[in-house]
Amino acid sequence: MSHPEDLLADYVDGTLAERERAVVDTHLEGCARCSAEIRQAETAKTALSELEDVPVPFGVTGPVLAEAGRRFERRRGVAWERFQWAAGLAAAAALIVVVALNVGGGDARNAATPAATGASGGAGAAAGAEAASPGVIHFAGIEAQRNVDYDDAGIQAVAAEAADAVVAAEETKAPQVAFASAVQDSKERTSLAKDCVQHSGIQGSQDVLIRLIEAEFEGTPAYIAVFSEGPGAGQAPDHIVVFVVAKDDCRILSTASQRIPPG
Amino acid sequence: MPDPPARDEDLVRRYLSGDRAAFAALVERHERRVYNLALRMTGREEDARDATQDAFLTVLRKLSSFRGEAAFTTWLHRVTVNACYDLLRKRQRAPLLDRGGDDLPAREPPPAPDHADTSSLSMDVQQALLQVPEDFRAVMILHDVHDLRQEEVAAIVGVPVGTVKSRLHRGRIALAKAMGIEQEGRAGEPGPSGSDESPGGPGFGERADAAGPSEGTVSP
Repeated sequence: MSHPEDLLADYVDGTLAERERAVVDTHLEGCARCSAEIRQAETAKTALSELEDVPVPFGVTGPVLAEAGRRFERRRGVAWERFQWAAGLAAAAALIVVVALNVGGGDARNAATPAATGASGGAGAAAGAEAASPGVIHFAGIEAQRNVDYDDAGIQAVAAEAADAVVAAEETKAPQVAFASAVQDSKERTSLAKDCVQHSGIQGSQDVLIRLIEAEFEGTPAYIAVFSEGPGAGQAPDHIVVFVVAKDDCRILSTASQRIPPG
Repeated sequence: MPDPPARDEDLVRRYLSGDRAAFAALVERHERRVYNLALRMTGREEDARDATQDAFLTVLRKLSSFRGEAAFTTWLHRVTVNACYDLLRKRQRAPLLDRGGDDLPAREPPPAPDHADTSSLSMDVQQALLQVPEDFRAVMILHDVHDLRQEEVAAIVGVPVGTVKSRLHRGRIALAKAMGIEQEGRAGEPGPSGSDESPGGPGFGERADAAGPSEGTVSP
């Protein structure tokens, strides 16, 4: 007996045309085996259709999104560094103008002042003026470190890392964009965090903001602000200071400092 | 006014042109479908997690080569099914002791229930599903659980539609048997799949135009 094998799945699905269905029905009247198979297949199909979706457990796609972020930042980092190279040329030109203006006054410290203000207040030509200074790290934006909870040792590690970055910048004699790989593309959040840091009153006139992290400190949502500190006057910074301020009221939660070894 | 939801293919383009959130949107939109497909294919939550991550990481890696000649969902399903095949293969190679005892398919089919009440049967469906060969299982899950059309299933697993029909039918019978629903026909009469039917298990004969099970794995 020949069996209409290629029609049986559609017969169970109920998608056969009327004429084909009639062919199968006629066959089934005389074929107990096919009839039994149809009953089995219908039972299986019903059972499968009753399987319910389960919710995705927490954290399944987290590593995927983290990897996507890393890949994205790597791509973005390359573009940013190219931009910085171009900005560095413009900044060098700006510095020549500033130094020329200060030659008569004799107070070279003035040259450093706009650089510090620029770093705390945002980008622009003033921030660019520090680019030609040795050991200067460009602030590139806020880094959101979700689910990272710092303690005092962690903050000290951040300070030490920043000191290393400054040393590296001094050695290359070129402006550096450190920590850029982790930076979030969010001007709003960067400016929110900067406001909070300024509100806390921690930033001294010679402090240059080089890194800003959004994370937790001992369970409290916090901003971690990393500054390089130096004598100004275009001289290399000699200290890193790190302040931790609470996100909600900008109060100071902790601090750390690290001496930068002279080059 | 909120924008209408973006098409998958638009999200892919947006990610590739620098919109980081677009990939997260793709993952969020499809994670449930991918995870549940992987869970039905592997039968273990831990494996489903791994397969889901593997699938999305493959998508991430190959997104730039996704040209849109197939629908994104077709591609995503294919990548997921392949991730499951890879994982199941790895698990088969792993020493038996490494596997959770509860997750092993029963050697003997579960005892037949007193009556064909599908609601009580459905509790054992996942376990029974694991006894159905992977290529048949994939087709059944895609069509009978995820409601994909036979043509789409064919595109996902890379076989002709006729093969999908054949795998569906044989797979369903195999599942019923694994659930303890025995054939009521007369013994000895060859079934539609002829000599492929063996006494110890369901017949998995395929049509002559069918690709072999090994071709179920298609590179994206």
